[in-house]
Amino acid sequence: MSNVIIKDLGKGINLHIIPDKKFKTVYISYCFHRDLDEDYTYNALIPAVLKRGCKGYEDQKKIGAFLEEQYGALFDVGVQKRGERQILRFTMDLVNEAYTAKDGLLAQSFYFLNRIINKPLLENSAFREDYVSQEKENLKNKIQALINDKIQYSIERCIQEMCKDEKYSRFVLGSVEDLESLDSERLYKVYQDMIVSSPLDIFVVGDVDVEKVSFLIKNSLDLDRAQTKVIPETIIKRVGVKQREVVESMDVAQAKLNIGFRTNTSVRENEYFPLVVYASILGGGPHSKLFINVRERSSLAYYAFARLEKYKGLMLIGSGIDQKHYQKALDIIMEQVKDMEKANISDQEFTAAINAITTSLKGAKDEPEQLVSYYLGNAVTGANFTLDDFIEKIQQVKLEDVVEVSKRVKVDTVYLLSPKEGNSLNG
Amino acid sequence: MDKSMENKFLREKIIYNKLKVGLDVYILPKPGYSRQFAIYATRYGSNDSQFVPLGKNEAITVPDGIAHFLEHKLFEEEEGNVFEEYARLGAQPNAFTNFNMTAYHFTSTGNFYECLDVLMGFVGRPYFTDENVEKEKGIIAQEIKMYEDNPYWRVYFNLLKGLYHEYPVRKDIAGTVESIYKINKEILYECYRTFYHPSNMVLFIAGDVDADRVIKQAEELFAKQPVYEAGGEIERIFPDEPKGVAQARIEEKLAVSRPMFALGFKDEDITGGGNRLLEKIIANEIILDMLVGPSSDIYNSLYEEGLIDSSFGTDYTGERNYGHAIMSGQSSDPEKVASILYDEIDKRKSQPWDQDYFLRIKKKKTGQYIRLFNSLESTSIQFVSMLFRDINLFDYYQTIESMTYDYVIREFKQLYDKKNSCLSLILPRA
Repeated sequence: MSNVIIKDLGKGINLHIIPDKKFKTVYISYCFHRDLDEDYTYNALIPAVLKRGCKGYEDQKKIGAFLEEQYGALFDVGVQKRGERQILRFTMDLVNEAYTAKDGLLAQSFYFLNRIINKPLLENSAFREDYVSQEKENLKNKIQALINDKIQYSIERCIQEMCKDEKYSRFVLGSVEDLESLDSERLYKVYQDMIVSSPLDIFVVGDVDVEKVSFLIKNSLDLDRAQTKVIPETIIKRVGVKQREVVESMDVAQAKLNIGFRTNTSVRENEYFPLVVYASILGGGPHSKLFINVRERSSLAYYAFARLEKYKGLMLIGSGIDQKHYQKALDIIMEQVKDMEKANISDQEFTAAINAITTSLKGAKDEPEQLVSYYLGNAVTGANFTLDDFIEKIQQVKLEDVVEVSKRVKVDTVYLLSPKEGNSLNG
Repeated sequence: MDKSMENKFLREKIIYNKLKVGLDVYILPKPGYSRQFAIYATRYGSNDSQFVPLGKNEAITVPDGIAHFLEHKLFEEEEGNVFEEYARLGAQPNAFTNFNMTAYHFTSTGNFYECLDVLMGFVGRPYFTDENVEKEKGIIAQEIKMYEDNPYWRVYFNLLKGLYHEYPVRKDIAGTVESIYKINKEILYECYRTFYHPSNMVLFIAGDVDADRVIKQAEELFAKQPVYEAGGEIERIFPDEPKGVAQARIEEKLAVSRPMFALGFKDEDITGGGNRLLEKIIANEIILDMLVGPSSDIYNSLYEEGLIDSSFGTDYTGERNYGHAIMSGQSSDPEKVASILYDEIDKRKSQPWDQDYFLRIKKKKTGQYIRLFNSLESTSIQFVSMLFRDINLFDYYQTIESMTYDYVIREFKQLYDKKNSCLSLILPRA
C-alpha cells in the first residue's frame, strides 16, 4: 500500500488520496467538520435533505437510476460524532472503471457529489419544503429508534447522564424538540455556513492516479468558500473520584450494565498510547480481563467490553446481564479495573493486547472505510501519525506505562437499564 | 488433486485441493492484503435437528440450539482455551452458526500458519465435560435474552415462524433457555462425530499466503491428529412442509419506538442445489430490486408519503429445501404498506417492468459482485455458503450475464402469491 498523499486545495479543503492497487472499488468521502453547538440538530438534518435531490438529479428515483447505471455505485450521507464535533459525510463507493465496459465512472461520481452538496433544490431561498418536512419526520423517527437497540441505547444514555452539563451529551442525530420547532430559514443558513466556512476533508481510496483525481476534483468542485472557521477543541474534563448511579427501567428481558469512566487523557498526549493498551487488556476482546472473568469464569454475560471514546477522554464498559446478578457483575467488573491499577497484569495479557491492537490497525489497511475513518481521525485531532507510525507507538508501550495511565482512569457514572419487574438494585 | 479456477473478469483465481481425509481446501490468493482470513466450516446448522448419528441405524431428534451450543463448546480445550492461543498470536477468532452451517474463523496479520494450526487443531479436538457444558448454559442464556430484546431480530424470526409449518428454519438458531438446559456432553459428542468429519467440511483461505505450504501443513496436521472413520452420506431427516403459510399475520409487542414489519413470501418451487438454485437466487434479487428498489415507482411513492424510510430493505433466501423473499422496515402504518405492496405485485403481473430497467439492475448486480471481492471476510463466507449449496461463486457473473428477462418475469409470477405470504409485526408496547 502506498501512504496517504495529502494535498492542500486551499480555502480549508484538504484532499487525502490513498492509492492502492488491490481494491476493486474507489471509495470517496467528503467530510465537513461542524462544531457540536446549538445547531447540532440542523447539522444532522442537512445531509438527509441534500440526499433527496439536486439540480440534474431532482429526486431519489433519478438518483437511484443513475447509481444503478454506474454498476450499482453506493451513495450515502450521514453524520458522525467525533468528540465535540459533527462530521457531515457524503460518500460514494463505485466499481473501478477498469472492471467495467464504461469509461468516466470516476469523473461522473465527482460531478454527482458536487451537485448533491452544492446544487440543492431551493424554494424562496430555502430548501424545497416537502423534502425538509419529510426528512424532519424521518430524522425524528431515527432519533427515537435509538431505543430499539438496547445495547446502543444504554451506552448513549450512560454518556448523556455522565456528560449532562457538557455539549458532548448532545445526540449525534439531534433532538426531537429542535425538530419540532425547526426553522427552515435557519436550516438553509446553517447549510450556507457549512459550504462557505466548514473545514472540508476529501478522501479517495482505490487504484487511482493521484494527478487525475486531483484534477477531477478541482474541476468538479465549485464551492463558494470564504474564511474557514476554527472548530473549538473538545473539552476533556479532568475529574477526581465521584461515582453516580442511574437506574432506568424498561420492558426488557435483559438488564444492561454500563459504566462510564473519565480517562483524564487527551488523544494528543503521549499517555494516549498506553491508554489504548489499557482498554484492550481490560475489555478489548476474548483476550481481555472482562471477557475472561465476567463471561468465561462466572457465566454472567454473553458480552462484556471496554472501549474508549478517544476524542472525549472517556471509557465505557458494557455488559448484558441478568438483573439478579447486578451486584455480582458490578463487583467483578470493578475488581478488574482495580487489578489494572494494582499492576495485576500478566505478561501474557499485556502481549495479547499489543498483538490484538496491532492486528486491527494493520487490518484497517484492507478496508477503504476503515482507512478513511483512521485518517479522518487525524484530521480531527491535528495528528499526523500514519497507521504504521501508530502501530510503532503501540509497540513501544511498556507495562509500567499502562499501570501509570491506569491511575488516571476514574469511574464516573454507573448506568443500569433494568427490566421493569426486576428487583431493586441491591435486592 | 490440485486444480485452479480462474475468473478473468474478476482477475481472481482460486486454488482447490482435496486432502486425503476428504477435506476440500480452497485458497484465494490476495497479494497486497495485510490480513489473512481462514474459515473452517461444516455442513451442519440449526436445521439439522433430526438425523441418524454416525454408526447408528435409528434417527434421533436433538434439543433445539445444539449446533450453536456445540460451536461455543469447541473453543474449550483440556488445558486452557483456544482464545488464549489466538491471543498469543494476535489473531482475531470468531465463529457463527446459522440454519445450514457452523463456521470457525480467524483474521490474522501475521503468524498465519500457526493460527491455521490452532484453528484446525481445536475444531478437530472436542473436549466436553459435565462441568464445562453446564458453565456454558448461563452464557448462552444471556445471548438468547439479548436477542429477545432485539426487535430487528425478532421481526425476522417471527416471520419464519409464520411462513413455515414444520420446517426447522422456523425455530431460533440458538434454541430457547429451556431447550439448551437439556443439552449434555453425550449428545454433543454424538452431534460432533456425525457432522464434524473433515469430509463434511470446507476450509477456505483468503490472503497473501503460500498455497502449497497450506496444503502440506493441513495434510501433516491430519497425520498427527488422526481422524475417526467417516460414515458416508449423512442421513438428515426433514419434515414434510405443507403448502401455504402457517400464519398470514404474526405480531409481538416490544419496547420499540414505532412498528416494524417484515412481509415474506414463501417459495414453493424447490430446486435443490446447484446452478438452478443460483439462477433462482439471482433472478429473485433482480426482482426485488425492480419491484421495490431505490429507483422503483413504488419505493418512491411510499417514501414520499412517509410510509417507509431508509430502513426499508429486501432480501431473498434460496436454500436447497426452502426459500423466501422478504421486504422489511419501520412504518407508522405497516398494514397500509403491505396492502400497497400487494396491489403493486398484482399490477406488475399484468404490466411488468420494461426491459431497460431489467438491464440496469443486471449492471447493478454485476457491480455488487465485483465489490464483494474487496473484502476477504465477505468473499470467503459467501463462497463457502454457496459451496454448501453446490454453487461455485465464480459462476455468478456468467449467470447474471445470461439471465433472461422472461425467466425473471416467470419467477416473479410464480413466487409472489398473496396466499403464500405472511406479515410479521413488532408493535410498541403501550
